[in-house]
Amino acid sequence: MKLTLKVWRQQNSQEKGRFETYQVSDVSKDMSFLEVFDVLNERLINEGKDPIAFDHDCREGICGMCSMYINGRAHGPWDETTTCQLHMRAYNDGDTIVVEPWRAAAFPVIKDLTVDRTAFDRIIQAGGYISVNTGNAVDANAIPIDKHDADAAFAAAACIGCGACVAACKNSSAMLFTSAKVSQLALLPQGHPERKQRALNMVAQMDKEGFGSCTNTGACEAECPKGISLTNIARLNREVLVAGLSSE
Amino acid sequence: MKWSQFFNTSIGKKLLVGATGFFLCAFVIVHLAGNISLLKDDGGEAFNTYAAFMGHNGFIQFLAWGLKVIILLHAIIAIVLTVQNQRARPVKYAVKPGNKTSSWYSRQMAVMGSILFIFLVIHLSQFWWAMHYGDIGTVSYGAVTEVGNLYEVVYAGFAQLWIVVLYVLGMIALSFHLIHGFKSACQTFGLNHKKYNGILNFIGIYLFGILIPVGFAVIPVVIYLKQI
Repeated sequence: MKLTLKVWRQQNSQEKGRFETYQVSDVSKDMSFLEVFDVLNERLINEGKDPIAFDHDCREGICGMCSMYINGRAHGPWDETTTCQLHMRAYNDGDTIVVEPWRAAAFPVIKDLTVDRTAFDRIIQAGGYISVNTGNAVDANAIPIDKHDADAAFAAAACIGCGACVAACKNSSAMLFTSAKVSQLALLPQGHPERKQRALNMVAQMDKEGFGSCTNTGACEAECPKGISLTNIARLNREVLVAGLSSE
Repeated sequence: MKWSQFFNTSIGKKLLVGATGFFLCAFVIVHLAGNISLLKDDGGEAFNTYAAFMGHNGFIQFLAWGLKVIILLHAIIAIVLTVQNQRARPVKYAVKPGNKTSSWYSRQMAVMGSILFIFLVIHLSQFWWAMHYGDIGTVSYGAVTEVGNLYEVVYAGFAQLWIVVLYVLGMIALSFHLIHGFKSACQTFGLNHKKYNGILNFIGIYLFGILIPVGFAVIPVVIYLKQI
């Protein structure tokens, strides 16, 4: 296949970026999307040009690094797929593909398609922890937990913190991410001692980072590579409502 | 967390927009229930008696002023949130997903809300202002004497086609605003549960999205048709 790639190039967070167009030929349908960028980058290096900076790590769909906004969709056109798991059979010969970085004030561009997602780390630091006793290890399953709660907590914990929810949201809201991180702890007894403070602190940090607010369009859920559900956002809203009304 | 801090968080502001939104949802039901009497063929007795009651009952008047405060609160907080949401993405995407990941009306709440606000200004200046401060004629029905003949003002207004078209457009905006607004406010209050989502969706779409706006739109259309 022959493809035309329009890629966002930006030297650093201060400078203005622009699109640059590249023609890539001999693209196999079996290549992953990132492999096309590998091939293109080798060519750019051989030509003495600056290769395109993009994030990637595991290439197994579980690390959440490969943040590319492809033809208007976070991680491309396939549902519940990260960019590394998107394969070129999704495209046809002659297609033009526009690739942009996640765009949000809270995710400044470091270079080209690489963005700074440490805002997510700071949200987790604000409340994504539990109190545990030191000493001997506690027996597994010592605390009885309802199977449904355990499953819901596990589903929320599937969030890989990739930021697709923020990228897909028209308001750059981090509610789906924050709600998954709050839910996975709020649903389990181990998370209860800090429950109220956690919800309030994580939302306060989320606001401080400059993410927008949720208008319940559902774009985040549609684009989440791990299928995190909007029910988590409803749970976060309940947690914050109860904590906000009852905490001093 | 203090009240001021709580209502300054994004979720706190959204709870205020949702709560005022629920109040406005309740209002449109009452408003339609009363105004449907405009279509009664009694020369305006039912409607004018009802309008006089609403205009002179102290508790209703208190609610009416509260309603105006709530509309302004709903609009102002929504504008603040919209500005913050715009600032959260200073550089826009070159390619947008369109309707692939969300419905268009869920993304146009501010636009629909603004249309509704303009509609409300026209609507209030046309009828509410006339009833309270305008020079409208009075009529008497048996025991009820000397009540303002708002019925006549409404019929005169809806004799003009452009006003009827304006009202129908306003109600289309109301429909889309409420289809998303009711469900969205439920979600903001944490009401998202498999067992209740069906009924909440039904209320949002069929009651607030269809029955109420169509009910309102029928009034000017029928009055116009009656007079041609």
